[in-house]
Amino acid sequence: METLKEILDPNFLLRNSVYISLLIGFGCPLVGVYLVLRRLVFMGVALPQVSSCGIAFAFAFHAWGIIPHFENSENTLAFAGASLFTLGAIALLSWMEHRQRGGVEGRIGAAYVLAGAWSILLLVKNPYGEHGLLERLRGEIIAVSDRDLIVTAVVFLVVAGALLVFHKELMLVSYDREMAITLGKNVVLWDGFLFLLIGLTISLAVLSVGPLVTFGFLILPPLIARIFARTMRQFAIFSSLVGGISSLAGFWIAVQYDYPVGPIDVALLGCLYAIAFGIKAIAQAFAKC
Amino acid sequence: MVIEDLAVGYGRQVILQGINLNVPRKASLGLLGSNGSGKTTLLKTIAGILPPLGGRINFVAIDGRVPVLGYVPQKEALDPMYMLSSYEVVLMGVCGRVGPGRLIGSKEKEWAHHCLEQTDANSFARKPFSQLSGGQKQRVLIARALAAKPDLLLLDEPTAGVDASATSAILDLLRRLHDSGLAIMMVNHDLAAIKRSVEEIAWVHAGKIETGSAAEMLSRDNLERLMDLK
Repeated sequence: METLKEILDPNFLLRNSVYISLLIGFGCPLVGVYLVLRRLVFMGVALPQVSSCGIAFAFAFHAWGIIPHFENSENTLAFAGASLFTLGAIALLSWMEHRQRGGVEGRIGAAYVLAGAWSILLLVKNPYGEHGLLERLRGEIIAVSDRDLIVTAVVFLVVAGALLVFHKELMLVSYDREMAITLGKNVVLWDGFLFLLIGLTISLAVLSVGPLVTFGFLILPPLIARIFARTMRQFAIFSSLVGGISSLAGFWIAVQYDYPVGPIDVALLGCLYAIAFGIKAIAQAFAKC
Repeated sequence: MVIEDLAVGYGRQVILQGINLNVPRKASLGLLGSNGSGKTTLLKTIAGILPPLGGRINFVAIDGRVPVLGYVPQKEALDPMYMLSSYEVVLMGVCGRVGPGRLIGSKEKEWAHHCLEQTDANSFARKPFSQLSGGQKQRVLIARALAAKPDLLLLDEPTAGVDASATSAILDLLRRLHDSGLAIMMVNHDLAAIKRSVEEIAWVHAGKIETGSAAEMLSRDNLERLMDLK
């Protein structure tokens, strides 16, 4: 209890890390819901990896002198690299899907493994990027500046607001694309808008907590929530709550027992998923009796 | 609707070409043909889901406006992953009239309920769509198409995988809708069902289309010829 009080204290040394954890915990599952509904869970694995590869490329350009140094350039570069690579990967994967080039699993698997390999190769010889990005890859949420926190909060609020305001259109296009076309909706535009929201969320999350934790918060809370939810509204709310509460609980466990926050968050979500499945199985067994 | 020299298919692969068809305002048309003959492709092209590979589809204006199409897909096309009630599925039909980001008003919600009543689907309006029987799903999907206030209802295999009594109920419903002034065009494999429910038939055969009255097209001699039994 003392640790929890310490974490929630506004003077806590890592308070920005707590806040960003909560933002990612509450925010990522909201876009993750669409990845689960559209059966794009593998995309949720690959995109954070591609995003971190974008950060590695940005740092590499910096080290090679292709991009000049300026104030706060590391973070701006990292965000630009992450966003560019994530949105580029979404556009490329969508184009290949449209053109029926190769199998879905093959495309996404190739994107994942190539992005992972390039991230490591670019980091090995990069004196600027190595330290920061390795921390991110391990999911250590330590140094978060006020500026990063504000940018993440604003973008996540905009994303959550857009998902709420355009819920009707995004749901129609996701659920029944053909019906949406007959109703005069521009499905390509709405798909692009949804993937832009997903891309922005992933880029910012990867920048703060790395690909592992981002994937964990994108996919695991919706999978847990889906077991208990009965409506789409419940699905979105439960997902966000599971993510948000897990992020706080994970931070508490990490501080209490001196572990890195990110892996603890994901492990905790994994335990919750197993417990949820267990509860469902028991409930089904009782229902049969 | 006037179709002139239409070619349909996927990508660059033409499945049907040289299609000329005139669908009057109060038509009741069945689209028949063997498996893979291109019926569904033609229906989707008319609905605007697939782009035509050649020719034109001209919709004649009704009271100075472009006619509205109501589309009923095959029920298997919808993913059970979505936790939507039947009412929520029907409510999607009004989205064409509600601007992006705007809330669906009470009048539109009432209209959605009215469409559920019209298709006798009100009793399972609150049930999850994915848990309904085949016949119930079809009624909900027809209600959703009606929610768009269509001038022409396009149906893709509305009685596929549905038991005999539900098939009969669906066909009765479609006849009632046609009697109330709605034009209907449906793809169907069930000859007996289609004979009872439509006035005109367009038969897709050997890459071409033949049209005529239901009695004429489904006569024994004609069927033997169209089904290559002679």
